[in-house]
Amino acid sequence: MGHTTPVTISQSHLPPSRRNGFRGFMHKLNQQRALVWMSIPFLIWLFIFKYLPIWGWTIAFQDFKPARKLLDQQWVGLKHFRFLFQDEHFLRVMRNTLAMSFINLVLGFVTAIILAILLNELRQIVFKRVVQTISYLPHFISWVVAASIISTALSADGGIVNEVLMWLGLIKEPILWLGEGSYFWGILGASEVWKNVGWNTIIYLAAMTMIDPSQYEAAEMDGAGRFQWIWHVTLPGLKPVFIILLIMNIGNLLESGFEPQYLLGNGMNVDYSENLDIFVLKYGIQMGNFSLSIAAGMFKTVVSFILLFSANHIAKRLGEERLF
Amino acid sequence: MASKRFGTMGLVFIMMVSMITACSGSVGKDPALKDSNEKVTFTYFNATAGRDINTNETRIGKILEDQTGVNWKLEHLVGDSNTKIGTFIASNDFPDVIVPDGTIDKLLDAGAFIPLNDLIDKYGPNIKRVYGPYYNLMKAQDGNIYFLPLSAVVGDYLPAPNVEQGAFWVQRRVLKEAGYPKIKTLDEYLTLIRNYVKKHADEGLTGYLALTTQDRFYALTNAPMHLAGYPNDGGTIIDMKSHQATDYGDEEITKRYLKELNQLNAEGLFDKASFVDNYDQYLGKLTSGKVLGFFDYRWQAGQALNNLQEASKQSGNDDMEYIGLPVVYDKNIKDQYIDPSSFVNNRGIGITVSAKDPVRIIKFFDNLLTDENQVLSNWGVKGETYDVDKKGRFYRTKEQIKQTGQDAFRESFGFKYFEYSWPRYGSGSTLPDGNSVGPGRQPEVARMSYTEGDKMLLKAYGVKSFSQMFSAPDERPWYPAWSIPIVQGSPAQLFQQKKGDLQRKYFPRIVLSAPGQFESIWNEYTTEFNKLDVKEYEELITKEVVKKIETAGKK
Repeated sequence: MGHTTPVTISQSHLPPSRRNGFRGFMHKLNQQRALVWMSIPFLIWLFIFKYLPIWGWTIAFQDFKPARKLLDQQWVGLKHFRFLFQDEHFLRVMRNTLAMSFINLVLGFVTAIILAILLNELRQIVFKRVVQTISYLPHFISWVVAASIISTALSADGGIVNEVLMWLGLIKEPILWLGEGSYFWGILGASEVWKNVGWNTIIYLAAMTMIDPSQYEAAEMDGAGRFQWIWHVTLPGLKPVFIILLIMNIGNLLESGFEPQYLLGNGMNVDYSENLDIFVLKYGIQMGNFSLSIAAGMFKTVVSFILLFSANHIAKRLGEERLF
Repeated sequence: MASKRFGTMGLVFIMMVSMITACSGSVGKDPALKDSNEKVTFTYFNATAGRDINTNETRIGKILEDQTGVNWKLEHLVGDSNTKIGTFIASNDFPDVIVPDGTIDKLLDAGAFIPLNDLIDKYGPNIKRVYGPYYNLMKAQDGNIYFLPLSAVVGDYLPAPNVEQGAFWVQRRVLKEAGYPKIKTLDEYLTLIRNYVKKHADEGLTGYLALTTQDRFYALTNAPMHLAGYPNDGGTIIDMKSHQATDYGDEEITKRYLKELNQLNAEGLFDKASFVDNYDQYLGKLTSGKVLGFFDYRWQAGQALNNLQEASKQSGNDDMEYIGLPVVYDKNIKDQYIDPSSFVNNRGIGITVSAKDPVRIIKFFDNLLTDENQVLSNWGVKGETYDVDKKGRFYRTKEQIKQTGQDAFRESFGFKYFEYSWPRYGSGSTLPDGNSVGPGRQPEVARMSYTEGDKMLLKAYGVKSFSQMFSAPDERPWYPAWSIPIVQGSPAQLFQQKKGDLQRKYFPRIVLSAPGQFESIWNEYTTEFNKLDVKEYEELITKEVVKKIETAGKK
């Protein structure tokens, strides 16, 4: 990544073709027919797997029963959307979804960039590799196992977190970490960082290798110290990657994850742990109400679409790197 | 040139069409397969966790294959059953037979099972013999039978010698120290625990524990029903006379139980982590031996109880083991922990619309239901896994009991795959010669498997088996009410879901609050509870209970 010159030159830069309009188009098509033929299977693939399923969205407007044919389905208009938006839990669920997403987003970026910079500054290659490997190993643990590790660590009898805090004299008696709703977001954020920080650094480390070493040399000549290097060379070098990732992640703001909340959630923290996905699981899939699940899915897609385009648009206005 | 281009396009089109259709091509039925004893392999899906295997790799499966020529490729559940069954339904492609456990309504709704009536008439004399008395309970609304339940009792009903259901469990050392008193009421039970903790204050003991994780939450909410002298009917209690169903979520009996837990918590005897621990942590705590008492069903705590039993067999000290007690609220309540003889008609095995040869399958089912094959799939092979004494009584030697109790052996021999989840004589069935169909219910086998500690306990309480400490179940033709099907997405189902959410949120608060706040939080909870559509749910259950009593009378 980084600053690249556009490979394809758009048509407007070319001298006007001799044959315009449809004939010009056909001429061009003929010229590039090998490319066109090559792209057709992928277009078909795209169509079948990415566009045909959109047909399934019609389910959101029916009382869907799996075995019935389309014409036998009962059409109910916006009933499921109404149920979704009118449920008293919906606001709470949305708040939790957005809050957890936001926490993950900010924490995820900050910790990954800091770790990447620290790793980048290391000169001891062996140590660097060891740290990197250890930090990205948790990424490969499934959430089921990770949640077990987390709840054991937070356990009130003998959990390491309580033990350490008691030893340090910060608390007098063990805290029921997962039993206190307001702690949940913090626990989740910390868990996500623990699990994914190493993995998230990889892309930044890759981006750092793209930074021209002469910039560092120039900075050194100008008498820059370690922190000024980082501030004036490394961070600006990371900016394009950062912005692209930010735009993409903003598009996913309604995807706060499902597994950790489901596995760590319980009756005592439900006010903070229940997010949109769990709500849909409970009132949609578990009750055989596929229509509600689809309605929620559509809602998520539409919101994501709007968020993604806005973020991209803002980036464009600010003259920054952007997605499309 | 033009024709060549057209030719290429045509070629691409044909390739694409063939690519799309290639996947949906089906293997044609071979009529020659029918009615012959030629070897064939069918597929079988079981919606519980297990190891995937071909049945002819097991001893029992091999014998059955020699009889019928049928081998089964077993597939078990990985992950969530709703998702897996949903995938089958969405693709409309099923294994030959399915044992869907709790998701059977979804399959019936989707029309995944074929009606069995004609097949049974033609090819199923044994199926008729076993299931005939229950036909009224098995028929769907359209009069068809779509699956064979697993609980049709044949012969005289034989109760289980060991506690297989719910109970208030207490550690043996607690009873020992108190001199084996008779425990009947919850007060007596809790006093017992309180006294023990008082005497052993510095041992870090947990007085009482509850299981609340995810879909096992009912281990907390079901206790009041049992304490009030009802069997496990799920979220409702059903009046013996009027047959009126009541959801007891907001009743006095629930309040009384929570009040006791609240009190225990205030005294520091209740493990607060009960509400955050996951299932593994729960089992771990039981196995640690630090917990004095808890309420649960044998099948949920079983793993921990078995481990403790193993450990005590090695050490010869059974202090840490638990014993299940039929605890009730008051002296005059008759306990009903043991399931009445029942016919569960929403669990079973069905043949799917994708089945290649339903006739062969129904013949296999029928063959399973002979007395000989029921003995084979439960007792195994004579001289190897059981013996017969001079009077014709089946028994197992100590070694056989040990061997047949081991998981690895149960897998390789095939008990694990054939003693349940197939058309079968229901639990508690007996053979014409009086032997129990299930070895676990044969008194000789139970006696042989008791340790010295067990015998001592039984003697102290003057009973022959652990289940004799419990009252015999009363006749309840509707039992179990939890098997009453609730229509997907109906108001009743919505009520159940909302009630579950509400209780998961409030019960921890109620139990862990300071005793002074108990009333106000309880009131807050009942206010929320009564906003839900409980009336409609209770009416539905009452109506279905009455219907079940009527059909059972006709059977």
